[in-house]
Amino acid sequence: MSLDLSVFNRFAITKRAGEIIFCEFEPGDAFYLIQSGKLKIVKIVGDLEKTLDILNPGEFFGEMALLEEAPRSATIIALTDVKLLEFNRANFEVLMAGQPQIVLNLLKLFAKRIYDQKRRFMVLTLDDIQARVADVFLMLDENGPKPVDLSDNSRTFPNSVEDIAHWAGLSVAKASEVLKQFVNQRRVEIQQGKIIVKNIMDFNRFVKSKRQE
Amino acid sequence: MPKATQYKTNSVIYFQGDVGDKIFILKAGKILSKSNDIETKEEINELVAPGEFFGVKSALGRYPRDESAIVLADSEVLVFSVPEFEQLVLSNTRIIMKMLKVFSNQLRRMHGKVQNLIGKGTSKDAEEGLFSIGEYYFTNRQYKAAVHALTRYLTLYPAGRYTVEASDLARKAGAGVAKVDSTALFAAAGAEEPDFSPPTLAPPPPPQSGPADPLAAKGFFEAVALANQEKYLEAYKIFQKIVATNADPEHSAKSEFEMGRCLVFLGKYDEATKHLTALIQKYPRHPDLKDALYFIGRSYQGKNDFTWARNFYTKILNLAAEDEPVAVKTRKALKELEGAKA
Repeated sequence: MSLDLSVFNRFAITKRAGEIIFCEFEPGDAFYLIQSGKLKIVKIVGDLEKTLDILNPGEFFGEMALLEEAPRSATIIALTDVKLLEFNRANFEVLMAGQPQIVLNLLKLFAKRIYDQKRRFMVLTLDDIQARVADVFLMLDENGPKPVDLSDNSRTFPNSVEDIAHWAGLSVAKASEVLKQFVNQRRVEIQQGKIIVKNIMDFNRFVKSKRQE
Repeated sequence: MPKATQYKTNSVIYFQGDVGDKIFILKAGKILSKSNDIETKEEINELVAPGEFFGVKSALGRYPRDESAIVLADSEVLVFSVPEFEQLVLSNTRIIMKMLKVFSNQLRRMHGKVQNLIGKGTSKDAEEGLFSIGEYYFTNRQYKAAVHALTRYLTLYPAGRYTVEASDLARKAGAGVAKVDSTALFAAAGAEEPDFSPPTLAPPPPPQSGPADPLAAKGFFEAVALANQEKYLEAYKIFQKIVATNADPEHSAKSEFEMGRCLVFLGKYDEATKHLTALIQKYPRHPDLKDALYFIGRSYQGKNDFTWARNFYTKILNLAAEDEPVAVKTRKALKELEGAKA
């Protein structure tokens, strides 16, 4: 982001690599804008720490706390030394007055997050678990890069079985059972670190028919 | 420039599922927003109020429209492209704030719905959740993360369901951190520095017994006098000796608190936080508990970590009576914070 943020230096905080900015379940009343460094969003699922996303300079996190003080929904850990701008409800107005562009970006981010959550909800409301797994691939495809060749219906996803289970709201055992069925039907191939869907349009039709039921 | 456009009765501005990059304001007329509840599929019909924006979220993100916009009576509508809309709201930031509020509520609701679906049967409350995170990092030997989570737990739930386990784990995790980096703590400060390593490594004091040691008492008051003269390093060394000798439990405990206070005044905020946190875990009923919290707050404030400073100050105000000196100090500190930030 090429905005001059020097006027906000009094809101700057620094954290060292490995430090937690905040923990899932902590109450939160501040949100952060990354000035330098990288952070990861993690959630502990079962007995695994799952990285949900990597955050880079110019990005926000903790924005859900802006209008409501609710528990944090994930843990944020600094991957490198980081410099952050910390805003809470009280000084948000200062940001608004000084850099409305940032707040407008925040508004767009909210729009995206709402859409993502809705899409996720749509996946989870499918009762048929095969359709649910197929819909996870459709969702990942919608968010992923557009294919170069539009007539090519095969898609490669850099995801693991655990990822698919997570998005589908299924246990890993259940998800791999479904994936195995897809493999047997030659609709899916599982390779080291990636999953290939042979024909995404086939999944599209399949999910559509199940959703209408 | 936004365009004023006329729409006839029964025309449709856009359908649910369309992808469009236009944003609209109803100037005059009657427009119905028709959508389906995502859960129940029930039809939701809402009239667009005159002066109200519609189609914002989907246009900003280029997502399919959530609703259909149906013209019930001849209407005049202002049509914006996204850049035109941005220009308008940047010069009228109240609009952004209002929309942010609406979006934030929608996001929170959607998030809750998703959590309901995946969390079935495994939902944890915040207290249990926070403790289990500390436990996870402890088990996986990520001691710094464990200390953070457990310290937060103990601050938020000083008399919670897992307080005993949490303080035990926090102590062990603190020792784990100390083992990893205590030697590096003051590497830069040179050999003359006293040993600031956290007291978590010291053996726990013996159970309360025996009469007060007059020598410990004398040393204690000498050190307090030194601290009052702002000779914090000298004072720290004496307090440290009293704690190490541990001849008199009462003055040991008091000295441990004073050590933390000295660290704050010496600007050793990280060590002060560690020291005082360990103190609170060791003596949950320490007579200076609230003051210890206050100095942890001061340490965070010293590090410009205003959120945590505020968390601690707020905690104190919940614990202390209004006219207690520590409450007065805390309110003053909070005011300072506001001044620094606003």
